[in-house]
Amino acid sequence: MKRVAVTGIGIVSPLGNSGDALMDSLAHARSGVRHLDHETYRRLANRIAAPAVFDPADVADAPKLRMMDRATQFALAATRQAVTQAGLSLDQVDPSRVGIFLGTGMGGAQSADDGYRTLYGEQSDRIKPFSVLLAMNNAAAAWIGLEYGLTGPNLTFTTACSSSAVAIGEAALRIKSGSTDIMIAGGTEAPLCLGPMKAWEALRTIATEDPSDPAASCKPFSKNRSGMVLGEGAAILVLEEWEAARARGASILAEVTGYGLATDVAHLTHPSVDGQARAMQLALRSAEIGAAAVDYVNAHGTGTAANDVIESAAIKQVFGSHATAIPVSSTKSMHGHLLGAAGALEFAISLLAMNASIIPPTAHLSVPDPACDLDYVPNQARAHSRIRVVMSNSFAFGGTNAVLVARRTP
Amino acid sequence: MNVHDRLVQLLINEYKLPAEKLVPDARLDELGIDSLGVMELVFKIEDDFAIQFPSDHVALATVGDLVHYVQSLIASPPASTLPTQTQS
Repeated sequence: MKRVAVTGIGIVSPLGNSGDALMDSLAHARSGVRHLDHETYRRLANRIAAPAVFDPADVADAPKLRMMDRATQFALAATRQAVTQAGLSLDQVDPSRVGIFLGTGMGGAQSADDGYRTLYGEQSDRIKPFSVLLAMNNAAAAWIGLEYGLTGPNLTFTTACSSSAVAIGEAALRIKSGSTDIMIAGGTEAPLCLGPMKAWEALRTIATEDPSDPAASCKPFSKNRSGMVLGEGAAILVLEEWEAARARGASILAEVTGYGLATDVAHLTHPSVDGQARAMQLALRSAEIGAAAVDYVNAHGTGTAANDVIESAAIKQVFGSHATAIPVSSTKSMHGHLLGAAGALEFAISLLAMNASIIPPTAHLSVPDPACDLDYVPNQARAHSRIRVVMSNSFAFGGTNAVLVARRTP
Repeated sequence: MNVHDRLVQLLINEYKLPAEKLVPDARLDELGIDSLGVMELVFKIEDDFAIQFPSDHVALATVGDLVHYVQSLIASPPASTLPTQTQS
């Protein structure tokens, strides 16, 4: 089996649009969650979300932007960062050996929402000609392929909140097996429009706005948690076959060593300890390490009552007596839940944290919950002498649990 | 405002194109509006001018082509292209 190097990380997030900006926010426990003042959101019971501050003008010229949903714009911006950091000249490689695997839960949600507003809200038949092209779930991956002329496998995974963790895991497998040399892998999501937000609200998963500090509304693992907060953005990695990356003198940021995939079948939305634990165990097994080797776990940590208890129990099942010694944090407390992009963003955070020797905190954890009794790195980032192995958990409605493991570059 | 000026203004506002590039011979594809983009531009023009293009293909390669075609549609709308609510 070949080895998988990460050589580029691109970020568009509620905490900044670069790896450095993101880590700086996390290191200072700054939250990107805010009250939504705009009139558009007046019908939400809790007008909170974690929006990305993003200027699409940098992505493409105006005529082309008209063909791209916000989710596609995020993905292209993040891809450019990642490819630039990797120092890759994609026009110098065999394009059929380069693939693109992305994850998204809701694809071009905003464009679909716009179309429905026209059709049902305005009672007009004037649906925009680009509606299908804007809204289709594989649009972002397609645009990346077009931009760089990449003719290898181009797949979009949609497994709800684990979509982009699956995309990265499956991309790593392509490189491990030798079927591709380079993969652009990650996820994108732009769900902060009324339709999707009302739908999430109706599911009773969204946090109550913290009246004294809206930024602190998402409180994973805290006894007073009330749910998740939606976020938006994209995280894209460049993965390369290890020896080829070394041979071209690339700066290798980390090695993707483990990927575990296990499915819950007990219930459509309710997580199971066994499914989550199995995904973690499979990831450790594929990384060929024991649980004690893990130095940091970036939790799925949505801040819902069910997830945080089940995930804590699953971590205990996998890590045994070592569980309380491992720092586990939910960065969703600060960047919100990016749904289909969450897995990629949080894996990227795990890699950035490893290289910065900083464990990002779980923000807004003020009331301990007896049912959540691990070291969640509450409220303050922690310096760590040497993070060698990180794990990132992504669990999903529909039951697809995906876990990624990475190792620090020697 | 005449048809030419309205169309040029639409291209400036919606497509962020510089006015000096919008000469009659300017090719739409070179302005970043390819064949798919023209389809969407036509949709926008239909809304703004309250006209309807025929459903069969119309060759519109340049800004000048567009201006002339819209002028002709306004001057003599063919019966088959009158706006309808449900034409698909």
